[in-house]
Amino acid sequence: MILQAMSWGWSEILWVSLIGFSLVVVLLVALIFIMKAFGACFRVRPSVGKKVDAPPMISPEEIAAIATALKIYKGALHDRESEVLTILNIKRAYSPWNSKIHGLTQLPDRK
Amino acid sequence: MWSALTSSSNFVLESLETFAESTGVAGLFANMGWGSLIMICVAFFLLYLAIKHKFEPLLLLTIAFGMLLTNLPGANLYHTELFAGGHVHWDIFVANAGLLDYLYLGVKLGVYPCLIFVGVGAMTDFGPLIANPKSFLLGAAAQIGIFLTFIGAYALGFSPAEAGSIGIIGGADGPTSIYLTAILAPELLGPIAVAAYSYMALVPVIQPPIMRLLTTEKERKIKMRQLRPVSKTEKILFPLIITVIIALLLPSATPLVGCLMLGNLMKECGVVDRLSKTVQNELMNIVVIFLGLTVGATATAEAFLNPRTLFILVLGVIAFAMGTAGGVLLAKVMNCFSKEGNKINPLIGSAGVSAVPMAARVSQTEGQKADPSNFLLMHAMGPNVAGVVGSAVAAGILLSFLG
Repeated sequence: MILQAMSWGWSEILWVSLIGFSLVVVLLVALIFIMKAFGACFRVRPSVGKKVDAPPMISPEEIAAIATALKIYKGALHDRESEVLTILNIKRAYSPWNSKIHGLTQLPDRK
Repeated sequence: MWSALTSSSNFVLESLETFAESTGVAGLFANMGWGSLIMICVAFFLLYLAIKHKFEPLLLLTIAFGMLLTNLPGANLYHTELFAGGHVHWDIFVANAGLLDYLYLGVKLGVYPCLIFVGVGAMTDFGPLIANPKSFLLGAAAQIGIFLTFIGAYALGFSPAEAGSIGIIGGADGPTSIYLTAILAPELLGPIAVAAYSYMALVPVIQPPIMRLLTTEKERKIKMRQLRPVSKTEKILFPLIITVIIALLLPSATPLVGCLMLGNLMKECGVVDRLSKTVQNELMNIVVIFLGLTVGATATAEAFLNPRTLFILVLGVIAFAMGTAGGVLLAKVMNCFSKEGNKINPLIGSAGVSAVPMAARVSQTEGQKADPSNFLLMHAMGPNVAGVVGSAVAAGILLSFLG
């Protein structure tokens, strides 16, 4: 309201620009600190003091042997199909155009 | 019979004359008719840019068509007098309003920009910003274009409120520009919206020369550290925290920031998928149609064809350029205080102007030109979404000072 009532001159324009930009920076810097604090609370840290067993060492030759065995095993497998070939039913959407009753030429009753 | 026909010839001539005067062709030759013709040509040019060159077609096409409709004489779809002096003249509204007048109420009352922000929020991933909060600084630095252009516009004779509306073009955020201009300087809405969306489409043309000018080859090759993973809880809490903080510190920015964060919360919480999809698609598309049409409708010949429009277009591109430069330069300054390995590639600073995700893509493209193995997109998304928050905050500040 005060700003609306006052007459604008160069000094006011420069001050508004300076204060306006400073406010944008200050607000977003405040958000940085808030987000950092917030991130610190939620960041997943590796649990300290808990010993993790090192994975057993496997030699490259052993890895190659396992990979070859898996390859041979998977290559020997075939897709297993259901082997059932019976057609259970055929569904056709009803339409007067494919209706048998409407499609038959009705012969006139001769009495 | 013949005498009856000749006696009514005057009546026929008068009727034909009345009909001819009521046509749009007569309107074209009436006062400001040449202006309407020029505006129709401008509308066709914008339609050409949108369809042929795909410059922000979703908006430019509807804006251009709105411009075409409003400048067709006699169509009576939009009436500037109903919104004269920055107010809606409700006393004569219902009696005189056309279709676009009703739709324009959404702009005038600040509804459409906020609804668009709900959709933008639902489409935005704030993960890179949460992982690297320093990006907020780059988003803030890029807003310098707004305030420098504010000074420049005042120097060119615009009123402070008009200067603020022109400055916000530098935020590279269409809905924010429209929201602020509709309140501060509604008479400039047409030129400002056209400038804002045109320059957003031209981001890949405007930004790269400035980025290359302000950085060295070595700086452009800087590879940034991978961002930390962000948990779902963080992503859910982020919009809530930002909304509360912004609303408490700067209430005038709450409509924009609140809507942005509402959309984002819908996306991240994962329990309202239907709503999230609706705001991202159907709601967004519907509002874009209404917003584009009505903003285009404000570009009447009287409002558009004056030297001030040219000033707005020039100031807009300057605002964009200064915002880009501000982001890049701050990234360079931040590098002076960063340890080796924590350095920022200054190219991501340019993404601090909003223009999501176009500005981030430009950073990625420029980074890959310097080093094809460098992937900056996710790093640039941080300043990019920070720019959206920053421009909304800047708009709130201008609104509280000038509104």
